[in-house]
Amino acid sequence: MSPLLEVRGLNVDLPLAAGVLHAVREVSFSLEKGETLSLVGESGCGKSMTALAMMDLLPPGAVRRAERLTFEDRDLAKAAESKMAALRGARMAMIFQEPMTSLDPCYTIGNQLEEALLVHRRVSRREARNRAVFLLEKVGITAASSRLKQYPHQLSGGLRQRVMIAMGLMCGPAMIIADEPTTALDVTIQAQILALLASVQKEFEMGMILITHDLGVVARVADRLAVMYCGMVVETGTVKEVFERPLHPYTRGLMDCIPVPGKSLKGRKLGSIPGMVPTPIGELTGCPFRNRCSRARGECAGSGIGLKELSPGRAYRCLLSPQDCLAGRV
Amino acid sequence: MEPPVLQTVDLTKVYQVSAGAFKGKLPLQAVGGVSLAVPRGSVLGLVGESGCGKTTVAKMVLGLEEPSGGDILLSGQSLKKLSSKEIAGRVQPVFQDPYSSLNPRKSIGSIISLPLRALGLGRRAEQEEKVQEIMEVVGLPPRLRHNYPNQLSGGQRQRVAVARALIMRPELVLCDEPTSALDVSVQAQILNLLMDLRQELNLTYVLISHDLAVVEHMATRVAVMYLGRIVEEAETEALFRNPRHPYTQALLSSVLTPEPGLSLPETHLGVAYPNPIDPPSGCTFHPRCPKADDRCSRERPRPALADGSLVECHHPAPG
Repeated sequence: MSPLLEVRGLNVDLPLAAGVLHAVREVSFSLEKGETLSLVGESGCGKSMTALAMMDLLPPGAVRRAERLTFEDRDLAKAAESKMAALRGARMAMIFQEPMTSLDPCYTIGNQLEEALLVHRRVSRREARNRAVFLLEKVGITAASSRLKQYPHQLSGGLRQRVMIAMGLMCGPAMIIADEPTTALDVTIQAQILALLASVQKEFEMGMILITHDLGVVARVADRLAVMYCGMVVETGTVKEVFERPLHPYTRGLMDCIPVPGKSLKGRKLGSIPGMVPTPIGELTGCPFRNRCSRARGECAGSGIGLKELSPGRAYRCLLSPQDCLAGRV
Repeated sequence: MEPPVLQTVDLTKVYQVSAGAFKGKLPLQAVGGVSLAVPRGSVLGLVGESGCGKTTVAKMVLGLEEPSGGDILLSGQSLKKLSSKEIAGRVQPVFQDPYSSLNPRKSIGSIISLPLRALGLGRRAEQEEKVQEIMEVVGLPPRLRHNYPNQLSGGQRQRVAVARALIMRPELVLCDEPTSALDVSVQAQILNLLMDLRQELNLTYVLISHDLAVVEHMATRVAVMYLGRIVEEAETEALFRNPRHPYTQALLSSVLTPEPGLSLPETHLGVAYPNPIDPPSGCTFHPRCPKADDRCSRERPRPALADGSLVECHHPAPG
């Protein structure tokens, strides 16, 4: 059986005055039904652009090229806008980071929830309302029917994000893309929202792409992850594999940067990655991480550093052998 | 004995907020009786959810808001007796977002030297020299002096904010979420910088953060705020090893450490943070507390002090 979503050789280019910005370079991954794949990386690494490319919601002027881009056996690479519009919200839904800016302040919660269903299905307003109440209760909002009359500004951040999740679920999508769903929330609410996402995902058997910069979130929620740097996937594998044996020097560096209560010694220096991300404008040759990597060698500037696949689904993009990667500290 | 660099005594702030058109005003108690002491060279971590009053405390310490009650002492001197310029010379802030806290139309050199110019300290050449010096201390190449904020990366901008705070050699640096807007690899650089500077310059920090991992790493003492009150305060190690207040316990359990195999924590906190205009009776935490009983909803707990730690709860875990 083919996977729910399959992406091969995805590129996103943004033509700017200063040159072409390669936001996403040769990204490949697949997502199964009921699985959570996390795209991890720092700002500007192309994780959000990858997600927007799936939905065909890239900013105007952006050019998307893909060898293969299929979702539920439909070819999205060549799909017309009308076809995408029918899929968006219905079969694939997106949850954005900031629920205040992604809900319309001029309409009630009820209006916005019902609209999702009314646009895609031939249902009556009453049926749409019933579905909205059902889902609001599912995402843990009490007195759901009275909430329908409220406006977004009357809700707290956590409640708004719950409304966003309910809205994403209105049409029963097969895939949900969550772009930093808890970054704007308090830690106490974060755990609740993540638990909620995981439980609805299981219940409705959806595939989920979780975009985040927080490795703590990835470790607790995702099944597999892809670490991105400069628009490229530099390492991919199951969460257990990557966290226990991170291979790419960038992944290792990232993990050393995070203080862990009880683990990282107090007062001791945190690991940090020196330098900055290179500009994504223009062509890149060699390893994009080499100017920040303590283990860079002459060959790292050469071309043709591809993803080395160790086993199906486990790959990394570095010239070092896995043994060498694991041996040295970054 | 030397008085603490910062001491607040029963600090209170009440805002009058509009209850809606033609409905008059309602009092909102943002900070309700906060007493803290920060000795020289220490780092106090102030944690809590958004809306708990952390930033209001910071604003009052910076002299940007007038307290409604209580007092703030800087090295034993009441803030009420100091002019705003005197306060600015002794307390300096580092804010969360280096993208919005730096004036985009001013050069880096001008941003860093502004405190000196505002207070009229030194001649032009001396100011220039101090800017060079402090840029070196925070690890900024001096050539960036003539650049503008938009030409700098997030980490560099936050270094500019740190340099601006330190150029006055303040007694106290207030860091309000200093790394929340930064990427993890850059966050580590800035945290390391703050730690180094603390040792080199014998600085005292108040670190406001919602990231408990950062607080645990940096702070020597931690105060947990809930709805304008300090509900628990202790040495960092003791607090993280044995949190006594149920709210602290819930906060600590909601930290997602990067450990695969552990599932998501159940915090038992429920959904709602209470409305600060209409706070719950008794202990303000009781509607969300798993240990709450009748007494908690009637009677407000008194702060209990023991071994230099404080907890405000009717049913604290044993110390």
